[in-house]
Amino acid sequence: MKTFGISYPETVIGARAELSGPTDERDVRIIAGGQDLLGEMKDGTALPDHLVSLERIPELREVRLGGGGDDSVIGATVTVATLAGDAGIGERFPMLAEAAASIGTPQIRNLGTLGGNLCQRPRCLYYRSEAATCLTKGGSTCFAYSGLNKHNAILGGGPNYILHPSDLAPALCAYDASVEIVQPGSGLPSVKSLTLGDFFTLPSVDPEQENVLEPGELVSSVTIPDRAGWKATYLKVKARHSYDFALSAVAVALRFEGDRVADARIVLGAVAPIPWRCRSTEQLLSGEKLDEETIRAAREDALRRAKPLSQNGYKIPMTQGLLTRAFRKLAGEE
Amino acid sequence: MSSTLRQENEERAWSGRDGWKILDHDVRRVDGPDKLTGRARYTHDVRLEGMLYGRLVTCPYPVAVPAMNLEVALAIDGVEVAIELDQSRNEYGATVYLGQPIAAVAARSPELAEDAVRALEVSYDRGEWAVTREQALEEDAARVGEGENLVMGQPRGDIAEVEQELEECDAIVEATYTMPVQVHASMETHGAVVEYRGGDEATVYSSSQYINAVPGSASRPLELQASQVVGIVEHMGGGFGAKLSFGVAGLVACRLAKEAGAPIHLMLTREQEFVCTGNRSGSYQWMRGGANKDGSFVALDTLIRNLGGLGRGSHPGQPYLYAPKAFYTAPGFVRTHTNASCPMRAPGRPQASFAIESIVDELSHAVGFDPLEFRKKNLPDEVYHRQLDRVAREIGWSEHPNRTGPPPPDELPEKAIGIGFGVGAWDVPGQPDCQARVQIEPDGSVTAISGSQDIGTGTRTFLAGIVAEELGLPIEAVQQKLGDTRYGPAGLSGGSLTVPSLSPAVKDAAVKAKLALFERVAPLLETTPDNLRAAGEAVYLADDPSRRLAWKAVCATLTTGLSEVGEFRAELAGSGVHGAQAARVEVDTLTGEVRVLKMVAVQDCGIPLNRLTTRSQIQGAMIGSLSYGLLEERLIDADLGLQLNPGFVDYKIAGISDMPEFVAIIDDEDTRQKVTGIGEPPVVPGQSAIANAVFNACGARVRDLPITPDKVIERIAALREE
Repeated sequence: MKTFGISYPETVIGARAELSGPTDERDVRIIAGGQDLLGEMKDGTALPDHLVSLERIPELREVRLGGGGDDSVIGATVTVATLAGDAGIGERFPMLAEAAASIGTPQIRNLGTLGGNLCQRPRCLYYRSEAATCLTKGGSTCFAYSGLNKHNAILGGGPNYILHPSDLAPALCAYDASVEIVQPGSGLPSVKSLTLGDFFTLPSVDPEQENVLEPGELVSSVTIPDRAGWKATYLKVKARHSYDFALSAVAVALRFEGDRVADARIVLGAVAPIPWRCRSTEQLLSGEKLDEETIRAAREDALRRAKPLSQNGYKIPMTQGLLTRAFRKLAGEE
Repeated sequence: MSSTLRQENEERAWSGRDGWKILDHDVRRVDGPDKLTGRARYTHDVRLEGMLYGRLVTCPYPVAVPAMNLEVALAIDGVEVAIELDQSRNEYGATVYLGQPIAAVAARSPELAEDAVRALEVSYDRGEWAVTREQALEEDAARVGEGENLVMGQPRGDIAEVEQELEECDAIVEATYTMPVQVHASMETHGAVVEYRGGDEATVYSSSQYINAVPGSASRPLELQASQVVGIVEHMGGGFGAKLSFGVAGLVACRLAKEAGAPIHLMLTREQEFVCTGNRSGSYQWMRGGANKDGSFVALDTLIRNLGGLGRGSHPGQPYLYAPKAFYTAPGFVRTHTNASCPMRAPGRPQASFAIESIVDELSHAVGFDPLEFRKKNLPDEVYHRQLDRVAREIGWSEHPNRTGPPPPDELPEKAIGIGFGVGAWDVPGQPDCQARVQIEPDGSVTAISGSQDIGTGTRTFLAGIVAEELGLPIEAVQQKLGDTRYGPAGLSGGSLTVPSLSPAVKDAAVKAKLALFERVAPLLETTPDNLRAAGEAVYLADDPSRRLAWKAVCATLTTGLSEVGEFRAELAGSGVHGAQAARVEVDTLTGEVRVLKMVAVQDCGIPLNRLTTRSQIQGAMIGSLSYGLLEERLIDADLGLQLNPGFVDYKIAGISDMPEFVAIIDDEDTRQKVTGIGEPPVVPGQSAIANAVFNACGARVRDLPITPDKVIERIAALREE
């Protein structure tokens, strides 16, 4: 690991000021739980000169639970363990708790944060290899395209084929959540809000970025609308059960009226460079009874546009299998 | 023969097993508390006055000429040594394998050492390479050393007979089975701490499976004589065969120490560990086998290609353990620009087992025969028959609905249950290279001493246990000294050799010490030595047990301590063990995930010196094979020549929540009164049993390990489309 400096601002205003400091050549980065960044620094794929730690900023750890039509707001440095174990969060957003519980190990969940999980970098084997200057790292080639691409995109790929590794992102996307972003500058924070759909961007927009964050911008919280009356589940396939990134994942949120689906949000994880929303499948389900015939039509529709590379065709039947299980589970829930 | 001599010979056999209090019982590790509390000192933990931290630099490419700037690194304050390592290059000065060490530095802190590595700013002029089997076999492939990349061995068997037999068979299966290169992945990486400050002596702390070989190896770069070097390994965090030689980390540590005239701490990074310390060779095995409906395995034609990097790889040959009527085997290995394989837990056997157990399973299914009965019918060694029956009983085979095969694809449940089997073997006799010493002091304290090493497998515990059993003492009363070349000659700890090589010498030393003690105290008790016995922390008369002296009182009569050296005694060491395993798995037919629910092993081993450790060893082997079967593979990009999973995030090893119920059974029907080591044999059949269980559950035959969900769901999807 390269020698680096670190500062510990105690307010968002302080962090913001540090992040908008003199624009010299220094590589300044935000660190929250560090569960992704520290790995990158040890692997040599990130060599920051200075880190701005968010760990001493109490307002970023706040959880304000809504209900009765009110939004809930969860601070960016709330840990994954809290998302997985907090009773209030679990009661309102069980799918978020499921997704959080599926992440990493207990140690990683205790340190990893909501904001860090959303902003983590791709897990592509080539991206993580210091010696491979791939497209995502400013090179000219996506090595996965013709190389080892079992862990790469079947949807939304090109010019590179990374996967978004976050488990929280598909779940939050399916809950129609948005992120609050503090912009750099001095004085009182200027905050903008983006839906998660607008936050994440495809490589065709910028192959070196997975989201729209500009230098110096900071994710401060996530807002989730009241989801009372919705049923939702997050399902994930891991090769190693103890801890692993997803080979495929689905976040399915449904609102029923009687025995028919009134509203659906279906988001796929680990198949695309962003949490992949299946809008046509959502429309297909609207007004339908969730019987086996509808389930078959929905799972086929969700993957219809998939274009596998040489080694990741498995993601189609696997994701269809997860969707089948999610639909059956939600149809059967009281 | 004098009565004393007769007694001596009797006692040196593993006799009196029925009356044992320690051996053949469950005994907790004597070093357990030290390890649990962190008191145990590993090589990694050694810190010495004035010690510098060494760091190795390895080439990220297989074939490249590196250029570096040593002066810039040396200009950093606190960086003491920076050297280029240019040995073992090809005629153009290029490296010959991925991960070959090219430089080393030593500095006053680990951070400074890393700064020095970065300051070298190594640039690489890359050449042509071949790192995969396919690449190495291309027509215009880069040559790996002299000669062809494919090196063929001497075929065995009769191909004409095989062809003839196959023509008459009821079923023929032709398939290719592959296993990737796996790495040892010891928790403690390779390395050494070299205490050298100029002058004519050195102490080398080395994470080593063979500490007695360390002085010889270390003396050359230190320019000393072996007798001037002491080797020490108090505790070590795993070796699995990779730490039999001093290795590049140790040699470079010595070279840095020589240059610096100061102690060096050099342990490899995980990334380096994965590419320059050896590995389990990968395997490509093409097979064509035939069987008949009566359950007979008729013929087997095999082509073997070991993938051992610069090495030859390991393979015991086919047909492994089974006996088809006719066979033909064409062995060979394909060389690549990757590091040479080395022994890894039962070298070659897991590879051989995976192929033969898979085709045996496929053939039994093809002829509609119960796979358990098919195995028994074709395994000539009958020990396997009782062991297979036992594991079958424990795993619930007779109640299993899929005994004749998996359900058809359209009838698969969401969670499909399957059972599979496999067998293993190991046959290496004890080596006559260990001595042991037992000392008894006038205060009654006892020490068992050996220059062997405990590589984490319980050697300290049996060292104390054998002596305590012989002297009638509790195990806590015996101190152990181990892992230091000053303690006398001892062999390596690999190939399951420690127990059969060391324990006879310990037993011999303990008997000699006891008899020497009897000689001294017999007059005191007004009897002859052969009428004395030791038990229950006392010495007493065989013909009048009421006449006894407490152990401490006996020893108090000694004017000086006793010290006896024991030698290897071949008659105490056994060899040749079997072993059968069964696995019950659950396959998620919607996603391809495999969960092993239960694994059962029955293992013969002669006398288990410590039943708890023996069962733990068997269970640990099952954990290993579960991990090999479902997860482990080293990934190298052929075009870029880069290793892509150089850490435990992407080189996946099974963790706690991957663990099934384990049942480890010591086969007590093995009545041999001899000891054997069982580090290797139980690691052989597990992954084969899991692969067969996956097929048995859902019909997905995965012929290329590891059995990851992507492969399983692809095969299930293909079956559903057929």
